[in-house]
Amino acid sequence: MLRATVVERFAIAVAATLLALVLGAVIVAASGYDAVEFVSALLYGAFGTRSNVAFTLRQSTMLVLAGVAVAVAFRAGVFNIGVQGQFVVGGFATAVTVLFLAPHLPTGAVGGVALIVLGTLAAILAGGAYAALPGLMKAYADANEVITTIMLNFIASGVVFYVVDSYLRPAGASAPNTENFPEYVALPSVVFDSPSFSVVGLAVALATVVAVYVVMARTRFGYDLVTSGHQEPAAAYSGVDPKRNVVATMTFSGMVAGLAGAVFTVMILGYYSDPSTFPRFGFDAIAVSLLAANNPLGVVPAGLLFGGLDAGGQYIGFTLDVPPELVDGVVGLVVLFVAAPELFRMAGRRTGLGGNSAEARPGRTESDGGDEP
Amino acid sequence: MSVADYTTRHRRGIAAGAVAVVALAALAALFDLPVADLLTVGTFERALRAATPIALAAIGGLYAEKSGVFNIGLEGFMIFGALSGAAGAWLASGSGSVGQADLWVGVVVAVVVCTLLTAIFAVLTIRYEADQIVAGLAVWFVGLGFGPFTATVLWDGVSSPSLPNIDNVTVPVLAEIPVVGRVLFDASPLVLFTILAAVAAWVVLYRTRYGYWVQAAGENPEALDTAGVDVNRVRYGAVLFSGAMAGLAGAVLSIGIGSGFTGTGVTMVDGRGWIAIVAYLFGNYNPLGAFGASLLFGATDMLQVQFQTVGISLPGSIVGLFPYVAVLVVLTLVGYTRVPAAVGEPYDTEE
Repeated sequence: MLRATVVERFAIAVAATLLALVLGAVIVAASGYDAVEFVSALLYGAFGTRSNVAFTLRQSTMLVLAGVAVAVAFRAGVFNIGVQGQFVVGGFATAVTVLFLAPHLPTGAVGGVALIVLGTLAAILAGGAYAALPGLMKAYADANEVITTIMLNFIASGVVFYVVDSYLRPAGASAPNTENFPEYVALPSVVFDSPSFSVVGLAVALATVVAVYVVMARTRFGYDLVTSGHQEPAAAYSGVDPKRNVVATMTFSGMVAGLAGAVFTVMILGYYSDPSTFPRFGFDAIAVSLLAANNPLGVVPAGLLFGGLDAGGQYIGFTLDVPPELVDGVVGLVVLFVAAPELFRMAGRRTGLGGNSAEARPGRTESDGGDEP
Repeated sequence: MSVADYTTRHRRGIAAGAVAVVALAALAALFDLPVADLLTVGTFERALRAATPIALAAIGGLYAEKSGVFNIGLEGFMIFGALSGAAGAWLASGSGSVGQADLWVGVVVAVVVCTLLTAIFAVLTIRYEADQIVAGLAVWFVGLGFGPFTATVLWDGVSSPSLPNIDNVTVPVLAEIPVVGRVLFDASPLVLFTILAAVAAWVVLYRTRYGYWVQAAGENPEALDTAGVDVNRVRYGAVLFSGAMAGLAGAVLSIGIGSGFTGTGVTMVDGRGWIAIVAYLFGNYNPLGAFGASLLFGATDMLQVQFQTVGISLPGSIVGLFPYVAVLVVLTLVGYTRVPAAVGEPYDTEE
């Protein structure tokens, strides 16, 4: 998968997105809606007003974080489809930490910062631990991680819902929500005056991208991780224990997913609720990561694009009567097309556009991306 | 193959079975479970009904994988099957009261729609060499999006209105047989069909030339090619069959035993497509084994009802997770089954 030069990859990503959007517009038209109105509403919903931009950035923040979590694993040749579950468990750990420690810490800014930091650490630990499970199962029992991680998503949602609903719901409340966090446990609104988006959250996401990139590109751990994704024999030869590496990869990926859960809980929710009602950032992140060719830096533009699509899609859901689920379908189409680069290579050869890709094949590099395991 | 051979090859499977039996016995002893009350004709009936969609998808999926294409999109195709089954029946009735004939139209629509959609998946994976795992996940995402989307276009909501389901068929005389009669011959025709499909799939796979081709396409495509059989054609056939079966499985959920399409959350398919994959892995790619494994998952799915009847109170939201936990346990114990050698590898004829 995705054996291509950087330029070719970029072209494939753009072509896949455009093709998916065109198909989406055709489906809109075929369902009896106005496709032009659909596209203009999509753009307006994403960038039209200051608060729409804030919403786009909020979705992008989540998708970048979750996308990096996916990318870490995919790059090492491990399919972590369980980012959603790790995100749910991580966020839950944050909520529990904040709610239980709040009475014991000072109120005000100091307490707020302390609670956020402790809550985030709890999320990172919980997410990593939850991802270590399928890692252990893959390494020591050959259990297919695609399926185990999907099952663990279902289990995370179910168990967390049960705990929130039975033990954390305030007496008399009808919704399965925990109590609200104290007011001082919130990220400051800088630049954008939005209750559910803070530039601090975006900064955390970007800092995570840089940190993960440095770990992957500059450390022994990252080197082992990527090598074993591409060339398992070579990695084994250089002394990497492939089993331990799988567990470490999954844990690292889950830690990032847990962090995403913490940001979601503190920045967006301010309490915790039934996870089955949460946005499926962990799934959309798979599309983000694939579009970025599993490169942590590439996740930023891909996350911005999908954040915009998401925001535009929700705006459409509010204003036109086009169902917002359409955007989920379009995201799925992007994944489908990204999975089939050969489709675009052939199309390119037929039409003469990018016709040099055929000749470029022998020289294509295989060293910089998530190859199949 | 001697018995000793057989036991060596299936050591882990047998170990898993033994562990399961011991664990169940321990649980029964620990909680003083009225085992006899849990194992009733009703238990088996419900388990069989719950197993039907899983088994159908599993049988299709194992053919695809045997032929060398891992159709990991089963879950997505089931979503499309469930939706198009309900939509087909509803539209056939002229959007009014849905009759039995309309439901059967829905079943046909589901199979046809899913076969056509699988054709696209097949072309992308076989002709355009798409990564099978990523493409299969994409099918799921596309289903999660376009399933509820289409439902909203048709019904103004992510779920369909309540629809009737296909009537039970009572086979005269045979239905009088104690236990078996009630379970098999006074049941949904789809249950009976699933059992027949499992047997037929076994016969075709292991006793016919076509079955031999399917196996060779996944194990040793070069040899099949040398023998003058078009490998990719065999693969197309097997993948289309898996799509048709997944479509049928979806229709079973929405109009066969359920009452309409539910598009909330991860839709009414709710992971059964993934469970189907584990079912055929657990059944070691044998259609009858896959059917047996589906029955196991069907039974775990129905534990809630069973627990209620004998008065064990566990919260429903937790009991509802048993099938997923069962999948994890099975995958961990069975682990690596011998996957066909050429799975995931596109086959290029060297022309």
